[in-house]
Amino acid sequence: MTSMGISKGKILILATETCAYPGANSVGQAHSSYPTNTFILRVRAPVLFPEYFYLDCFKKGISGIIIMSCGEECPYEGAYHALAKRIDRVYKMMREKNLDIRRLRLTSICTVCNRAFLKEVNDMSVLIEEIGPPEVNAPTSG
Amino acid sequence: MSSETKPEEKEEKVGVYICYCGGNISDHVDVEAVRDRVEKIPGVAVARTNMFMCSDPGQELIMEDLRDGIVDRVVVASCAPSLHEMTFRSAISRAGENPYIYEHANIREQVSWVHHGEQATDKATLLVSAATAKAVRLKPLEPIRVNAMSHATIIGGGIAGMRAAVDLADRGIEVALIEKSPFLGGQLALLDKLAPTREKASELVSHLASRVINHASIKVHSCTTVEHFEGYVGNFKVGIKKHPLESNAYKEKMKMLNPVHKSAEAFIPFAGVYSGPVPSAAEELVIDTGVIILATGIKSYTPYQGEYGYGEFPEVITLSDLIRNLAENNNGGSLLEINGRKIKSMAMIHCVGSRQIPGIHPEDASGHLNEYCSRTCCSALLNASNVIRETYPKTRVYEFYRDIRTYGRGQEELYEQASKNRVVFIRFESQEAPEVSKNGYSDEFPLLIKAKDILTFGEEVEVPVDLVVLATGVEPNEISKIVDMMKLPVGPDRFLLEVHPKLRPVELPVSGIFLAGTCQAPMDAGEACSGASGAAVKAAALLSRGYVELDPFVADVDIQKCNGTGACVEACLSDGALELVEMEIDGQKVQRAKVTPAFCLGCGACVAVCPENAIDVNGWTLKQYEAMVNAIVAE
Repeated sequence: MTSMGISKGKILILATETCAYPGANSVGQAHSSYPTNTFILRVRAPVLFPEYFYLDCFKKGISGIIIMSCGEECPYEGAYHALAKRIDRVYKMMREKNLDIRRLRLTSICTVCNRAFLKEVNDMSVLIEEIGPPEVNAPTSG
Repeated sequence: MSSETKPEEKEEKVGVYICYCGGNISDHVDVEAVRDRVEKIPGVAVARTNMFMCSDPGQELIMEDLRDGIVDRVVVASCAPSLHEMTFRSAISRAGENPYIYEHANIREQVSWVHHGEQATDKATLLVSAATAKAVRLKPLEPIRVNAMSHATIIGGGIAGMRAAVDLADRGIEVALIEKSPFLGGQLALLDKLAPTREKASELVSHLASRVINHASIKVHSCTTVEHFEGYVGNFKVGIKKHPLESNAYKEKMKMLNPVHKSAEAFIPFAGVYSGPVPSAAEELVIDTGVIILATGIKSYTPYQGEYGYGEFPEVITLSDLIRNLAENNNGGSLLEINGRKIKSMAMIHCVGSRQIPGIHPEDASGHLNEYCSRTCCSALLNASNVIRETYPKTRVYEFYRDIRTYGRGQEELYEQASKNRVVFIRFESQEAPEVSKNGYSDEFPLLIKAKDILTFGEEVEVPVDLVVLATGVEPNEISKIVDMMKLPVGPDRFLLEVHPKLRPVELPVSGIFLAGTCQAPMDAGEACSGASGAAVKAAALLSRGYVELDPFVADVDIQKCNGTGACVEACLSDGALELVEMEIDGQKVQRAKVTPAFCLGCGACVAVCPENAIDVNGWTLKQYEAMVNAIVAE
């Protein structure tokens, strides 16, 4: 399998099934275009992912990751705060590995947040075009 | 316990089924090219396409491959999973296989509707590839079965709430009907003769309210608001609060109750059916219930100060005001009389607070514009015009409109009848709305309306009038507290958003919560009852088995890997879902994590913290995500 025509750095979007994923569908229903280098994975809650998952993604060649959570609206009480703390730790690890922390964004996207969704993906797409692919050398997997 | 099947242990046979969606996908994605590419992916046994994979022939393709043993995992690439994930799981079940061997690739809302050209095809290919990578790692799962209470809670005592309550109670389901006011009937009770048949709203409301109040299986909670919500389909807990009259916004309407009316079932004009004593003190209760139907309804748009002279001139009133005046002040003369003034000439203005246009109409205080059509005002206004012209033939009626939208059965005839009744129609452009001003020419008519009539190619028209009636639209009732508590989707128009407008029109994404009536969109009483009956049938079907099956997406511990650190128990967000238990392994007493599935939320907070990767969420495992990422980055 090849990446074919998608030559730009790839953006992974972890979108919660109750908020951001239907939000992304809402953008589709509005036929609002956004860059093709965006790959949305439906997640129940991004709190599932350990720190090393993000670093491994960068190591594999993902250029940017947007976590589109439900924020304070998270149906799993306490999950968002646990996630926010984890992302702080990921940022620390990214700095240690000289990874630009702007490659990882923690956002809240609701089911009808079309504008916010488009802004996030467009901003990240512009950023990774500007700063290029990540370079991660040290092994990260836990 | 966890036994994730690894691809190297057994060769899974993935079937990939790609939908054209009748051009919705294939107009922008080369579906056959995607098929050609994905059939080369290791593990893919077959890749097929169909014009509509959700159709019977499309589903049969999948079922036949499963029955023939050609495939044992299924990936469908089509529209959003919220629409057809269940459709395809069901097809797999009908083929005799486990429905959880299924993965969905969303190549319509997230590809063909947002991307074009070759890159759309490339992205679709990668998403299907990622779904395939996950499918290889799926294992059969069994749903979690929990008892469901044969009880429904309906929020809102308007026509839709009452219709749903009676339909459910007639099927033997206990119903709690929650109404914030002391009256049943909602907005319908504020009307009189309904378009197009001129049936009395009071009769419809009284008929249903009587059945509600007298039904042994329906408990009406009036003067009650919803304060708390928790639980899951089949086993919700709804915390309610009953409010005494002192703190009740309906105190004024209660004054209309004379001693005779103070028994239940009395219809109070322009208030509703009094449903029983108002609580003497605040009281809080918890209702255990299996399903919830939202019938929270609408309210009438209130024009802003100065909108067509509203609030500036007492002669400018809303359609609601007119309807009430017509009902209460039938003087029998040849001229309509409003507030003691004989009306020789009156103007009706359509689309007030509806079909608002950014840049032309101002937003309200909270920044909203009502860009939708309120759908019922044209017919209601024409109905009122006809009633006036037929009852008070010397009252002249002018209708100022942008478009006439009389969409239902018997409603176009209202328009024709209005023409026969010599109602004068003047059509205006939205950017050149009629101007209402004080009439400086004559004392006979207090107001003057100026408009450019596009029916006469922009001729400027000035009409002196005694009365201006604004056909105000509708807005959803303010239910943000309920929306927040129940995590309900709301559309940009502020109405509640169903799962799918055509295929699942009365369901919400939260399992066990349904929609009835105008909380979903502007609709007339008949449509509200249709929606309510639909919601009642859906709710009854869900409760009919006495149990519901929940997705088995809960945490699962691999005992072979677990070494009892307890990190997962500490991270768990649900009381009672995870605990450390003592067990004997290889003759030694050890502590190991144990999941109680009924309490597990399936959030995965435990997964991230396990140093041994010994716990995962069934159907959404970390390894599956890692495989999907690998597929996305594959070169």
